[in-house]
Amino acid sequence: MTGIVGYGTYIPKYRLKLSEIAQMWGKDIVEIEVGLRISEKAVPGFDEDSVTMGIEASKKAINMAGINPTSIQAVYFGSESHPYAVNPSSTTLGEYLGIGNNYFAADLEFACKAATAGMQVTVGLLGNKNIKYGLVVGSDTAQGKPHDALEYTAASAGCAYILGNKQSEIIANILDMSSYSSDTPDFWRREGAKYPSHFGRFTGEPAYFTHVLTEGKNLLAKNKIKPQDFSYCVFHMPNGKFPRVAAKKLGFTPEQLAPSLTVDKIGNPYSASSLMGLASVLDVALPKQKIFFVSYGSGAGSDGFILETTKEILRKQKKIVSVLKQMEDKIYISYATYLRQTHAI
Amino acid sequence: MMKISILGAYSTKFGELWKVSPRALAKEAMESALKASGLKASQIDALFVGNMLSGILGNQANLGSLLVEELGVQIPAFKIEGACASGGLALHNAINSLKAGQYKTVLVLGIEKMTDHSQDEITTALMAAGSDEERMAGATFPGVYALMAQAYMQKYKVTEEDLAAISVKNHYHGSLNSKAQFQFLVTVGDVMRSSKIADPLKLLDCSPISDGAAAIVITSENIVKKVRKPVQIIASEVGTDTLSLHDRKSFTSLSAVVDASTKAYKKAGIKPENIDIAEIHDCFSISEAIATEDLGFSKKGEGARDIAKGKRTLFKGDIICNPSGGLKSCGHPVGATGIKQIVEITEQLRGEAGKRQVSAAKIGLTHNVGGSGAVAAIHILRI
Amino acid sequence: MITSPVKLWRRQKNTSALIGKKGKILNWTIIRIPARSFVDQAPYPVVIVKMENGENMIGQLVDWQEKDLKIGKEVISVLRRLKTEEKEDIIYYNIKFKPL
Repeated sequence: MTGIVGYGTYIPKYRLKLSEIAQMWGKDIVEIEVGLRISEKAVPGFDEDSVTMGIEASKKAINMAGINPTSIQAVYFGSESHPYAVNPSSTTLGEYLGIGNNYFAADLEFACKAATAGMQVTVGLLGNKNIKYGLVVGSDTAQGKPHDALEYTAASAGCAYILGNKQSEIIANILDMSSYSSDTPDFWRREGAKYPSHFGRFTGEPAYFTHVLTEGKNLLAKNKIKPQDFSYCVFHMPNGKFPRVAAKKLGFTPEQLAPSLTVDKIGNPYSASSLMGLASVLDVALPKQKIFFVSYGSGAGSDGFILETTKEILRKQKKIVSVLKQMEDKIYISYATYLRQTHAI
Repeated sequence: MMKISILGAYSTKFGELWKVSPRALAKEAMESALKASGLKASQIDALFVGNMLSGILGNQANLGSLLVEELGVQIPAFKIEGACASGGLALHNAINSLKAGQYKTVLVLGIEKMTDHSQDEITTALMAAGSDEERMAGATFPGVYALMAQAYMQKYKVTEEDLAAISVKNHYHGSLNSKAQFQFLVTVGDVMRSSKIADPLKLLDCSPISDGAAAIVITSENIVKKVRKPVQIIASEVGTDTLSLHDRKSFTSLSAVVDASTKAYKKAGIKPENIDIAEIHDCFSISEAIATEDLGFSKKGEGARDIAKGKRTLFKGDIICNPSGGLKSCGHPVGATGIKQIVEITEQLRGEAGKRQVSAAKIGLTHNVGGSGAVAAIHILRI
Repeated sequence: MITSPVKLWRRQKNTSALIGKKGKILNWTIIRIPARSFVDQAPYPVVIVKMENGENMIGQLVDWQEKDLKIGKEVISVLRRLKTEEKEDIIYYNIKFKPL
């Protein structure tokens, strides 16, 4: 069986309060915070990008996995803000991690689900015994256009997961996975455009909810398993409202969802979003607990996974720099500084 | 024992010389030095040029050949570069050519034209004097010296006001020098109020951007000149140290200066206390504090305080430092400084320094440093 | 400073080995008048760090606050973008320091 042998997360130090954005554009902050259920978002440093954050997260994952970087034999890097349009982030990452040269590598793009797609590819390589360990990174510094709704939620962070086959090293087995894919133009970014575009309310029911809920239901049915059989559920978090609604509609309780809701404190770091929620759960999970995990990427698709923790998780949890700790390690900045740091001015 | 004598010495005005091209600057310095030496260009065997930025800023290599055109004779010509010590190094090499017997009488020119370029072009260009690590860390020249200043202030409990007194002294001296870029006085308060460049160094702790040239004619000929009193160069020594500040053993002393000056004192058969006047490379106020200690004028840690007490000031000190106004007040066209220092000492020893004349000056020293201390050239002159 | 792709590539193994190393600030300054490439980042601190292995390094300090500018402050090396590049240039990564 294939599973997670190590993971790491990185949240940049800077935070912008949503009230600063609202004040800039003369909007009612109470209305926004109630609607989005987010109070602040993570902003990258002037000199950070998806690769530098990916390196930070990956180093933690390698430390937890306790393996030599040279034993990683696949690197898949999912992002909407790869530093280059053409030039692989995956091998830049690989080189700075000291992985060597003998590995499969590719950059992936599928809006916010690029990295979970990478996970599925890696599971395939592991199952086929092509590799012993694979590294999957989801990292983004994507921004929202000033004065647009997305400005309140678009954030930055990086997550890294190392998958392997050795039961004695696995902290969470991947029991099953599937995907639901379609051509649904809810959110997109053209070549050369700095900011993404979206179609407002169309991003809700026909996009996010259709894919997350259909994938969720299919995966539950296929495995003849019910929401009550899970200790946790994790969904992609474009804002604080959508995952709460999705969880309820699928039959999960707020208690099952709560530990994953990193969006409330850091916003939506796109390809790192659902993976950050998963890490937040793994930081506190006990052995033999099932986790229901469904990501979402606009355009559109959802990747679903059923995971179960093992007793190895207790030992490896000692090595974490927890998501909670990083969420609290912050410096608040002004709207003007935020524009400067995200290279808008 | 071969004597190296200075036949003629001349410095142009230093400052923002908008109307003067590099060629015109060189021509003025060289022709005036020749005139002062009573020689014609045809009597010069070679031209040594000290310059740092002609390639980086002016895209001009082959500077020796270019400037020899301004002399009107086709003689051997060389550009020698060691960042801000280019002038001193050009002189050192010129002296070596005389000692080797290759040439008998040569012209040494230090020249720099900086004001054709923007502030940030210059800031970037000057970092060529440092290392790649320093450049990539975003350090600037003032930044590297600021790190030294902090180390010095912390180690010896010296304050920013103590360092400010150095700029005050040099502006006082410069106010008596008609060739100086800045001829106004400054107070400690002025220095403290000036804007920060790289903490703790402020605008008035830093030497300016300048244009200027200086030239001397030196000879190994055993000529008794009745026209001018013969000033002799009795020592010319060079030392080096690591390019990067952070690779050095000490951040509060320049071993390149200690090495070169130790050799120079030995060659000249003198001790530091025998020096009457010294032209010090005060690219920043901290540089002069450290230099006076490295040269043996002050005890370690006492350099700044001794200057504040007046021990290096015209008309009241014992070893007068930077009677010209130094780099701070006279200006710092980087390649020219090393030669200007020689011109100043020469004029002082000959009694030709006018309002800033140090009485009974017999032995002088010039201290010319490249980068943050990667190279140093020390010369000792005697009349 | 030259930031050619060849130079970046030649230095990668060295740079890679320097990520995530701890040290203490020996001296610091704040650059307020920067060189051209760093104009949009100023003001920023530059620090000389005594690394755990005894060697000194110089680097930009990032994610900093006033209280971090102390002699003896513990820092860790991180990989960051060197500067803001021109639209068509190679992206150059460099070691910088972050307060612990």
